[in-house]
Amino acid sequence: MKYSEITIRFCGIAGDGIVASGKIFAGACANIGLHVMVNNIYSAEIRGMGKSSATIRFSTSKLYSMGDGLDLLVGMEAKESIIDLRDVKEEGNVFYDTSTIGDVEEEDSLVSHITPEMQGHGLPIQKLANEATGTNQGKNLVTIGAICYFYSLPPEMFVDQIRSVFAHKGEHVIDVNIKAFNLGYEYFKEHYPLNNQFEFDKTSEPMALTSGNDAIAKGALDCGLKFYAGYPITPATKIMEIAAKELPKLGGWTLQMEDEIAAIGAVLGAWFAGKRAMTATSGPGLSLMCEMINLSVMAEIPTVIVNVQRGGPSTGLPTKVEQGDLNIALYGGAGDSPRVVMAPTDSEECYSGIQLAFDIAEKYQTPVIFLSDLFLGQRIETVTIKENIDRDRCTRKKPTSEQLEDFQRYQITDDGVSPLIVPGKPGAVFSTTGLEHSIKGNPNYEEEVHSMMTAKRFRKFESIVEDLPHAVILGDETADIGIAGWGSTIGSILEGMELAREQGVKTKLIKSIMIHPQRENLFRKFFASCKKIIVPEMNYQGQYAALLKSRYGIKPIEIHIPAVNPVSPLKIAQKIMEANSELSQ
Amino acid sequence: MKHVIIGAGVAGITAARTIKELNSNAEVVVIGDELFLPYKRYLLTEFLCDSIQRDDLLFFSIKKLNELGVKLRKGEYVKSIEPSEKVIKLHHNEVVHYDKLLIATGGRPGLGLVLRPFKKHIHFYYSLYDTLILKEKLPEVHKCIVFGDGVSCLDLICVLHNLGKRVTYITRGERATFGLEEDDFEGDLHEFLEEKGIEIITEEQIVSVEESDQGYKVETIQQKTLTTDIVFAWDFYKPNISFIEGSAIEKKLGILVNTRLETSEKDIYSAGDCVEIYHPSIKGYWINFGLPNALEQGRVAGSNMSGQNEEYKTQEAIVFNLMGTSLKARWWR
Ligand SMILES: Cc1cc2nc3c(=O)[nH]c(=O)nc-3n(C[C@H](O)[C@H](O)[C@H](O)COP(=O)(O)OP(=O)(O)OC[C@H]3O[C@@H](n4cnc5c(N)ncnc54)[C@H](O)[C@@H]3O)c2cc1C
Repeated sequence: MKYSEITIRFCGIAGDGIVASGKIFAGACANIGLHVMVNNIYSAEIRGMGKSSATIRFSTSKLYSMGDGLDLLVGMEAKESIIDLRDVKEEGNVFYDTSTIGDVEEEDSLVSHITPEMQGHGLPIQKLANEATGTNQGKNLVTIGAICYFYSLPPEMFVDQIRSVFAHKGEHVIDVNIKAFNLGYEYFKEHYPLNNQFEFDKTSEPMALTSGNDAIAKGALDCGLKFYAGYPITPATKIMEIAAKELPKLGGWTLQMEDEIAAIGAVLGAWFAGKRAMTATSGPGLSLMCEMINLSVMAEIPTVIVNVQRGGPSTGLPTKVEQGDLNIALYGGAGDSPRVVMAPTDSEECYSGIQLAFDIAEKYQTPVIFLSDLFLGQRIETVTIKENIDRDRCTRKKPTSEQLEDFQRYQITDDGVSPLIVPGKPGAVFSTTGLEHSIKGNPNYEEEVHSMMTAKRFRKFESIVEDLPHAVILGDETADIGIAGWGSTIGSILEGMELAREQGVKTKLIKSIMIHPQRENLFRKFFASCKKIIVPEMNYQGQYAALLKSRYGIKPIEIHIPAVNPVSPLKIAQKIMEANSELSQ
Repeated sequence: MKHVIIGAGVAGITAARTIKELNSNAEVVVIGDELFLPYKRYLLTEFLCDSIQRDDLLFFSIKKLNELGVKLRKGEYVKSIEPSEKVIKLHHNEVVHYDKLLIATGGRPGLGLVLRPFKKHIHFYYSLYDTLILKEKLPEVHKCIVFGDGVSCLDLICVLHNLGKRVTYITRGERATFGLEEDDFEGDLHEFLEEKGIEIITEEQIVSVEESDQGYKVETIQQKTLTTDIVFAWDFYKPNISFIEGSAIEKKLGILVNTRLETSEKDIYSAGDCVEIYHPSIKGYWINFGLPNALEQGRVAGSNMSGQNEEYKTQEAIVFNLMGTSLKARWWR
């Protein structure tokens, strides 16, 4: 068979080198100019033997999602891999170990569950790994060697990558891993000589790799992040790890706090002191932060909160993806509490979007909640990020000298934005409180003051709109079927649209990093031009659809997927086809 | 009742179908080591020379297997049997329990001690896998050497010749007969092949095959050196039964069965090319290769495994079933 795109999953338990497999594959593909996306899934429990998988999709053209189905499942551990067989495509392949020790009962055997539509290939993974390394390690490299032969990939791409991934472990480790790779390669060459062809342009330029979490951290550092406070939580911890490593080099600070409330408190404090600051968390952490978000709204202290969403509610599904935190991001907290909500759709937008989040937060003295998700945050993908490094960036509305003379921290202005200073400026005295307050910041509960201040806080949002990037319309502008989506689901939508296009059905998509506020005119115009509107998202309630319905009065076809895995493009394509047949009736 | 069948060839699959037709509730699992869905081995030659498509080789589709409720496990090799425990063991150490077992593992070409060290330079022509590899290689091949016996060897020589290749046939015998009786043909087979341009080297034997600049260098027992682009060779064609070693199932060259196709071990049956069965005319056991036998034995074994009482009737003549008309139909027209 000839391929221009392949999806492979390594499935095993912690210790099988699953994550390293993804890393080696991603690096090897990126180095030879292939597009690649890697999604790691591991068990939430902190114990040695939990299930771990790495899915790698690589292609000669740009990838937007993990696609549908596996061309190859590498079952490093039989029991854990059985359930993943359901993801193998018809005529897909399964590699399994023929050298495990001890008898296996039929129901526990991966092989007994392989259907005739698929193709199983046995190889003595464990035995070859032992031969190469003298230990149980190296199983992953044996299978990578086999895969390399199986799809006629150039062995050098992996050998180079093994050298670089294991460079810090010394020559011996590099040598035994290359040996394991070669043994897997040779085994397949001898036993399954009839291989497949992955065809690609051998002169392509290498590509860069990143994850959404990496891109957020880098974007923040490049636009002047000076202080990070946080509490570790899956799947956001990586952002804190990068901040902890990089910020001190730039003269900044990272603090691990005792919990998320303390973390956001510290972040508000840093902003109050005039420093660009950020925290990153996930759903349970965002719940805890709600009261402090209200303080940010009321006291008009900027803040940036990244929420890498996972399955919820409560502790929920720590290592699975979901887009269930839109409502809490939009509405979580007491009172009339406006905030900006943004949702990047890919790693490039994680980088550029977080910089916009800082600029908006600082300029409009508002909390900005940046909704990424586990899939986007953790997946590794090839990207072309346009770097924008300006670490002295400042978008604060500073007071004029006249304003400083009689400083009104909460001055009523046309755009709702009042002058902001770092406390301690001689003469410019003000107080800051979570209580309703006067223009000077002193507590005040008068009806007119409350109305005036609430209106001012909301007025800022009319002004923000002017600064927002325009939504993008993708697909065929003449199509009758329009799709509105958000966050990482956009990738699956784009591929679903492509599948529908292959079936002759035209669609268009409105894509915006801004959830609230939005440039509404463009959305209205888009919706008015559609006969059918589809809103797919990864939550049970249809939280984005609800927002769009109330905001634009539309009646969309809603696809609610309380997800544990990224959305299937095929599922979206099916909905498009259904909508299309309804239209043609 | 769980019926396990080893071998997804025509005999095994026919038995599976028979069992399901007689008792749709029976659990039937067929385990075969080839990577493909059950196919018609006897049509490989047609496929090799493109007179049929790959789909035409299919003996049983997935749809048909599903309709019957037969579970096929392909690409899996059975490595041992323990009749006392009623289990078989697969190559990855999985243990499969059975109530009734059928061994229908067919036969395969093999190399003797002399040629075994050169295995990686030698091609067989037995399976779809061999044929697919061959199909990929053939455009680059001009000269071929074939060394072996049997009708499939003749089949191969003819197809290579028809594809425009220069064929040299090496045989231990004084003449090229392929184990066939010459009067089954109109005229003389040896001369017929030579007339077609096939070089025949008699009373010879290959002793080594090495890679060379121009493909392969072949040495013979008479110290001749030949060059070629590809070498096909096999010393014998024998039943695939090494996995029953140590199981107490009685065997000679093949698995010994009675006319009900029962082996010496209770609830274990055998059918097709892996079987040795008593032949009343020759008053001894023999392997009766060939498609019609395999089909019929598969049917009889399946029926007996389902509690019927059928006897397999051996053929009168000791000839390979293909030999007569079908061979003529395929090659001599
Ligand atoms: C090229 C060629 C052309 C032929 N043409 C003709 C013809 O024209 N007419 C004719 O009558 N006959 C012909 N034959 C012979 C005919 O194909 C066989 O007699 C027939 O296929 C035998 O059927 P079977 O089911 O007994 O064995 P097979 O078809 O050989 O099937 C046995 C299966 O069991 C599998 N197996 C073996 N060991 C194991 C194990 N341990 N575990 C799991 N699986 C195992 C084998 O791989 C094989 O797939 C031809 C043979 C060849 C090779």
